[in-house]
Amino acid sequence: MTEKKLLGDDGKRLSGRSDVDLRPLSMSVGILKQANGSAMVEWGKNKVIAAVYGPREVFPKHQTNPHKARISFRYVMAPFCSMEEHGRAGPNRRSIEISKVLKHVFENLVLVNQFPKTSVDISTEVIQSDGGTRVAALTAASLALVDAGIPMRDLVSPVSVGKIEGRIVVDLDKDEDNFGSSDMPVGFSHRTGEIVLWQMDGMLTRDELAKGLDMAFEASKKVRELQLEALKAKYGTAEQAETG
Amino acid sequence: MMQKIISPGEQLFEKPLDLEGTFVDDGRTYASVMGLVRDDRFVPLKGHYLPVPGDYVVGIVIVEKFSGYIVELHSPYEGNFSNRETREAFAVGDVISAKVAEVNEVHAATLVEPRKFSGGTILEVDYVKVPRIIGKNGSMLAMIRDFTGCDLFIGKNGRIYLRGGNTTLASMAIMKIDAEAHTPGLTDRMREFLEAATGKKASPESSV
Repeated sequence: MTEKKLLGDDGKRLSGRSDVDLRPLSMSVGILKQANGSAMVEWGKNKVIAAVYGPREVFPKHQTNPHKARISFRYVMAPFCSMEEHGRAGPNRRSIEISKVLKHVFENLVLVNQFPKTSVDISTEVIQSDGGTRVAALTAASLALVDAGIPMRDLVSPVSVGKIEGRIVVDLDKDEDNFGSSDMPVGFSHRTGEIVLWQMDGMLTRDELAKGLDMAFEASKKVRELQLEALKAKYGTAEQAETG
Repeated sequence: MMQKIISPGEQLFEKPLDLEGTFVDDGRTYASVMGLVRDDRFVPLKGHYLPVPGDYVVGIVIVEKFSGYIVELHSPYEGNFSNRETREAFAVGDVISAKVAEVNEVHAATLVEPRKFSGGTILEVDYVKVPRIIGKNGSMLAMIRDFTGCDLFIGKNGRIYLRGGNTTLASMAIMKIDAEAHTPGLTDRMREFLEAATGKKASPESSV
């Protein structure tokens, strides 16, 4: 692998961030008219759109479960999402795997027992990518689910941590991901403090892993704050409502 | 009146309560959807209609069978009624009102008292907004009827049938309520809106 310097002489990262800084993060809820719920997340140079449909009839019909709702999750990258070649539009081996992993996150958080025989279809599209798109997609998807009125136990607040030049840092961008030694996306449910997503690429020692997890937990609190802010921006007008 | 906007996962009450849009974990009640908490009530801002026995709903016939009909209910679940319930023949696409008689464990509804609507239009809103469209003791509904001369039938499933009078104005009024359902002073604003649109003054009995 080609070497690339990821830390400046001042000890800061190439983007000028410290070890625990997130990239600039903005979220908006309800951006699509047709979907039951939708959201867009701009996380640094990442831009992800999420749409949620349902609960609705299951297709193919044999996947209908009389005990609970089926969750379907689609994560795809647009062919034009980065400088690199992304081939033809649509799912590929990488995105099918990410879709599966992110689907399981919501299978654990959505109250699937309330809507037997239905399907909740989540679709996320990476319009622009710069490392950490799965956490951006997860952030957008959980906002879109809330916007669609799908009952959930909690939001997911994900963030990635990783190791660059021997240091554990939060929220890796594309260069840090490609030329660093490890990348670990983690998703938290802050109601209980549970981990709902945990993946890792590369290697970390036990101590580094423990430290990374702590840093991710702290950083994801900021993500959660911004998620709640975005939801209040849409639903906040209800704040001083009268008795109905 | 203390009121707060709540997002999913926020704790509502220390005790376990069985309320709409909430769930209980470890003896405490949490919100599962966006909503408002007021004293010991929780008002969801979004929801998906599940048929409940006793509800009057507005449906659309989507399948005609040998022994009855399947009805779309503006909900994830469908209803059906037997042609024993009626001497009338229905066709696919007919808009009907019906009463939910029975609901099974997967929320499929058995309907009774089907009535066909002819003419008029339908309008769909989120079913959680229906109480606001009706208003306290039906005040909001009476006001819309008064100003527009429109005949309205409001299904609990959030589908509304309108006929006669100024249906355009009545639809606009309902869409306005849908958009502003949980903002303060809604009844007064609706009265102003309808007065400005029609040039009429509210009669005293319609402003309960």
